[in-house]
Amino acid sequence: MTQVLFYLILGVALWVLGLHGLIRLHQPIRRIISVNIMGSGVFMVMVALARRSEDPDPVMHALVVTGLVVAISATAFALRLAVTGQRSEEDRE
Amino acid sequence: MIHEWLLDGSLALLILTLAVAVLYVRSLYASIVLFIAFGLLLALIWARLGAPDLALAEAAIGAGLTGTLLLAALGRTPVSQRAEPAFSGARQYVRSGPAVVLSLLIFWILLQAVLPLPEQSSAVVRAAEQHLDAAGVAHPVTAVLLNFRAWDTLLELLVLLLAFMAVRQLLPSLPRAPEAWPLLLGWSCLLAPLIILIGGYLLWRGSSDPGGAFQAGALLAAGAILLRLTDLLPAMGWHHAWVRLLVLGGCAFFLLVGLFTHWLGAGFLAYPEGWAGPLIILIEVAATLSIAITLTLLVIGETREVRG
Amino acid sequence: MTAALAALLIPLFTALGLLLLRSRSGPLVILTSLATLAAACWALVEVTTSGPQSLHLGDWPEPLAIRFQLQPITALLLVFTALIHLLVAVYAARSRHCRTRDTDYWPLSCLLQGSLNALWLSSDLFNWYVTLELLGLAAVALVALSGRKAYGPALNYLLLSLGASLVYLLGVALIYGRYGVLDITLLATQTEADQSTRVAFWLMTLGLMLKAALWPLHLWLPKAHASAPTAVSALLSALVVKGPLFILWRLWSEAAPVELAIETGPLLAIAGVAALLLGGWSALRTPWLKSLVAYSTVAQLGYALMALGLLMHWQLPALDAALWLFVLAHGLAKASMFLAAGELQATLGSKRVSALRGTTETMPVAMFAFAVAGGSLIGLPPSGGFLAKWMLLEPMLGQSEHWPWVAGILLGTLISAGYVFRVVALAFDRADPVPPDFKPDRFAHWLAMLPALVVWGLALVSQPLIAWLTGATP
Repeated sequence: MTQVLFYLILGVALWVLGLHGLIRLHQPIRRIISVNIMGSGVFMVMVALARRSEDPDPVMHALVVTGLVVAISATAFALRLAVTGQRSEEDRE
Repeated sequence: MIHEWLLDGSLALLILTLAVAVLYVRSLYASIVLFIAFGLLLALIWARLGAPDLALAEAAIGAGLTGTLLLAALGRTPVSQRAEPAFSGARQYVRSGPAVVLSLLIFWILLQAVLPLPEQSSAVVRAAEQHLDAAGVAHPVTAVLLNFRAWDTLLELLVLLLAFMAVRQLLPSLPRAPEAWPLLLGWSCLLAPLIILIGGYLLWRGSSDPGGAFQAGALLAAGAILLRLTDLLPAMGWHHAWVRLLVLGGCAFFLLVGLFTHWLGAGFLAYPEGWAGPLIILIEVAATLSIAITLTLLVIGETREVRG
Repeated sequence: MTAALAALLIPLFTALGLLLLRSRSGPLVILTSLATLAAACWALVEVTTSGPQSLHLGDWPEPLAIRFQLQPITALLLVFTALIHLLVAVYAARSRHCRTRDTDYWPLSCLLQGSLNALWLSSDLFNWYVTLELLGLAAVALVALSGRKAYGPALNYLLLSLGASLVYLLGVALIYGRYGVLDITLLATQTEADQSTRVAFWLMTLGLMLKAALWPLHLWLPKAHASAPTAVSALLSALVVKGPLFILWRLWSEAAPVELAIETGPLLAIAGVAALLLGGWSALRTPWLKSLVAYSTVAQLGYALMALGLLMHWQLPALDAALWLFVLAHGLAKASMFLAAGELQATLGSKRVSALRGTTETMPVAMFAFAVAGGSLIGLPPSGGFLAKWMLLEPMLGQSEHWPWVAGILLGTLISAGYVFRVVALAFDRADPVPPDFKPDRFAHWLAMLPALVVWGLALVSQPLIAWLTGATP
C-alpha cells in the first residue's frame, strides 16, 4: 500500500463519518461541524491525488484552496442562521 | 521506511479518533474545541503531503476562523441545547444500527473506487508545468489560482461576498463584548502589527513560494478581529464607503480586468503579453483586502445599521 | 460569445453597483434585466445563425483552461433565465409583499441570475461545483428574507445543499483521479465503464439530485419554497432547481460511458415516476396553498427526470427536446402559479387552500392565471406542457412493452389534474366567498397571467420549436 492510497482511504473514511453525522445528528451546530468534516474528507482525497506525481499537483492544491474558502463562507452563514433560528424559537416559547 | 509509516499511521489514528470524538462527544463545547484540534492536525497532514499552501490556509481559515465562529455561535446558543444526548441508551444503539451498516457499505463501495486511482496520472498537471513560464508568477499554485483557473477564483470571491450579504441581513444577535482586560490590550498592540507584517509578507511571497491572497487575507482578518474585539479599531459599519469599497473591490477589480481583456481582444481574463505579473499582483492585493475585511465582518458581524 | 458574456456580466456588475451605492432601486434592476434579456436574445440569434461556440477562458489551451460553451440549449436557457428574472423583478418592484424595500433582495436576485448564467455557460466539473455553491447560497439567502419563521427551513436547505455539493465534489475528485481532466468534452473521449467511473458518476448524480430536489431526495424543497417570499418562490421553482438538472443532463448525455448510462437510466426513470405519483399525492393532501404549488414542483420534476432516464436507457436524442420543453413549460407555468398563489394568499390573509373559496368572484384574474398555468402542468392540449408530454410519449406508443411508463405518465397526469381542480373547484364555489383583506392588486394578477399565456402560446409555434430543439441538441 502506498502513501497516496493510505490517505485516499483516510479521506474517504472522514467523508463517510461526516455524512453519517450530517444525517444522524440534530443539533444544528453539530450538523454544521459534520459538513465541515465531510469537506475535509474530500479535500484529503484531492490532496492525496495531488501527491501522485513527483512534484505535487498544483491544480488540486488550488482547487482545495478554493474549496476551503467556500467552506468557511458557507459555515459562517449556516452558523448565523442556526443561532438566530434558535433564538427566535426561544422567544416564541 | 518504518518511521514514515509510524508517522502516517499515528496521524491517521489521531485524526479518525478526533473526528469520531468531535461528532459524538456529549458536550458541545468539547466538540468545538476538539474540532479546532482536528483542523490543526489537518494542517499538519497537508504539510506532510507536500501542500504548504494548504497547511497555511487550513491553519488560518479551517482551524482559526472556523473555530472562532463556532465558539461565538456556542456563546449564543441556549444552555439547554448545548448537550446532545448522543448515544445514551441501548435503544439508540439499535436505532443507529441501520445507519452504521449503510455507512460501512458506502465506505466499502468507495474503497473499491479509489483503489485503482494511485496508478493514474493527469494531463492537466503536465499542461500546467508546460505553461508555467507564461503565467506571470513562478509559484504554480498561485499561477493556477490567478491565471489558469482565474474564473474559479473570481466566483469564489463572489461566494465569500454572498455569504457576507446573507449574514448581514439576518437580525443581529451579538451581545456587547466585555471590556478587554489590560494584558489582552497589551498583547494585541504587539501582535497586530506583527500579523499585518506577516500577512503582507505572505501575499508578496505568494508569487514565487507558498502563500498568497487567501492565506494573507485570513491572517490579516485574524489581526483585524483581535484589534476590533479590543476596540482598538473603529467600527467597520457598512455605511462607511471605504468598507464597501474594500469588500467589493476584489470582485469588482477582477471582473473589470475580465471585461477589459475581452474588450482589448485578448479574450476574457487573458492577460496581455507581459502584463500577467503586475496584473496578478494587483488582483491579489485587491482580493487580499476584500477577503480580510469580509472575513472580519463575517466573524464580528456588525450588522446594526442594516435595517435602517 | 460577446453577447453571452454580456448576459453573464451585466447582472454581476448590477449587484456590485447596487451594493456599493447602497441602492434598493427596483427600476434600475428592471432596466439591467432588460439589457440582459437583450444580450441573451442576441446570443441566441448568434448561435442559431453561426452554430455553437466555445471560449477558453484566459486563452489557455485545452486541458488547462476552463471552457465556456455556447450551445443552442445554453442560449435558450440564458433567454429563459433573463425572461423569468425580468418578470419577477417587475412583480417584486411593484408588489407590496416582497420585502424589497428593507432587504438586499435586488443584489441577491442579480447574483442569483449571474450564477445561473455562469452555470449554463460552463463546461468544467469543478467550476460547476463553485457555481452550485453560489447558486445555493444565493437561494438560501433569498429564502431567509422572509424573516425568522423561514430560518429553520433555510438552515435545513443550506445544510443539505452543502452536503450535496460535497457528495458531488467527491465524485469530481474521483473523476479527476481516474482521468486527470475536468473538462466535460475531454472527459467524453476517455470514459470507460469501470468501477471508479461508475461510483464517481453515481456520486455526482446523487449530489445533483439532492440539489435539484429530485425524488427521493426532495424532502427539503416544499418547506423551503413555501416559506420564501413570493417572488423568491417563483425564482426558486422556475429557475434554481433547473441548474443541477442541466449539469445532470450534460454529464449523462455527453460524458458518461454508454453502458453505464443504459444501466442507470431505468433507476432514474423509476425515481421520476415515483416523484410524479408521490409528489402529486402530497400536493393533493396538503392544507397549505404554497405547499401545494411546491409539491407540484416535486411532481413535475419527475417528468424531467423520467425523460432523462429514458433518454439514457434508450439512447434516444429525441427525448432531449422533451426534457427541455418540460423545463421551459414548467418554469413558465410555475412562475405564474407562485405569483398567483402569493397574491391570493396575501390578499386573503390566509395561507390555507380552503381560504380560496369563491375567489373566481373576488379575484378572477389571479385565479384564472392559476388555472391556466395548472392546465399546462396537467398537459391539456394545446399548451407547452402538452407538447412536452407528447414528445415524451411518442417514442413509447409504438411499442407495447413500454406500457408501464405510459401508465405512469397517465396516472401522473390524473393526479396533477386532481390537485389543480382541487383549487379551481373551490374557487368556483361562489355561494359564500371568503372576503379579501386588501384591495386586490390587478396589475400583479395580470403579471402572473403573462407567463401562463406564454406557455399556451408555445403551442402556436410548436412545429418550428420542436424542429429547432431537435436540431439544437447534440
